[in-house]
Amino acid sequence: MPETDRLNATFAALADPTRRAILARLALGETSVQKLAEPFDISLPAISRHLKVLEHAGLISRGRDAQMRPCKIDTAGFIGVDHWLEEYRKLWSQSMDKLESYLEVMKAQQATSPAPTRKSRSVKRQGEGHGRKD
Amino acid sequence: MAAKTDLDLSDPVSIKGTREFDAPVALVFAAFTDAKHLSQWWGPNGFTTTTSHFDFRPGGTWRFVMHGPDGRDYENRVTFDEIEVNKRIAYRHGGGDDVEPVTFAQTVTFEDIGGGRTRIVWHGVFPNAQMRDFVIKEYGADKGLQETTARLAGYVAAMARS
Repeated sequence: MPETDRLNATFAALADPTRRAILARLALGETSVQKLAEPFDISLPAISRHLKVLEHAGLISRGRDAQMRPCKIDTAGFIGVDHWLEEYRKLWSQSMDKLESYLEVMKAQQATSPAPTRKSRSVKRQGEGHGRKD
Repeated sequence: MAAKTDLDLSDPVSIKGTREFDAPVALVFAAFTDAKHLSQWWGPNGFTTTTSHFDFRPGGTWRFVMHGPDGRDYENRVTFDEIEVNKRIAYRHGGGDDVEPVTFAQTVTFEDIGGGRTRIVWHGVFPNAQMRDFVIKEYGADKGLQETTARLAGYVAAMARS
């Protein structure tokens, strides 16, 4: 899905504590890169790299002012996550409805084949489920 | 229409769902252990599934394509971490072979509730639970973020009522 790349970028961006701290600071309001860098014990180029990642993830946007390029929170990334959760909820709720119907089919198959057959191989396979961890 | 699925979304970055089935636990578990069975029920309405690889054991993967009703295909990969027969399946679910696929750690537990009935609980958590703290703590400063959070909150409330 087209959002997937953005979503991957969003998760990757949020996985870093410095970037989350930058977002927390930006949640207080728009600010310049220099101001943003002050509380952090890392170089300005490193901050810039973090900002690029956040921008790509749709979590911040940068102003047009070539000198300042002020940064501010962008909600696109967060909305993407919200949508994704909704999709996930749908996947499970609807899958469970379908599983319920399918279990009736499985029960019927089991009833008509009391002896283990090809059809019930998966049920037999449960005995093999004790996988070994290396 | 009353929802038969009980969903707990009190945590915006995790989903916990409960569902009871009128089938014995061995049968419900079996429906998860074979791609032939999974293809019959996996996915939202209108989706079909084509499996290219299925290895149901700890460390094994299930690679499949979900075909949407709009004709679009979605690569998926499930990696099984832990399997306890008739009790529990822990896995990670993500996209295809992306460099950094979105993965969602998921646990499905199976419980025999007597009378040939089974309860399933599935619980999924984002790799970044901190996002939840961020959204909740920082929303006040930005109107757009506030709206997003309000929508999340409304959605949670609606789910809690269903």
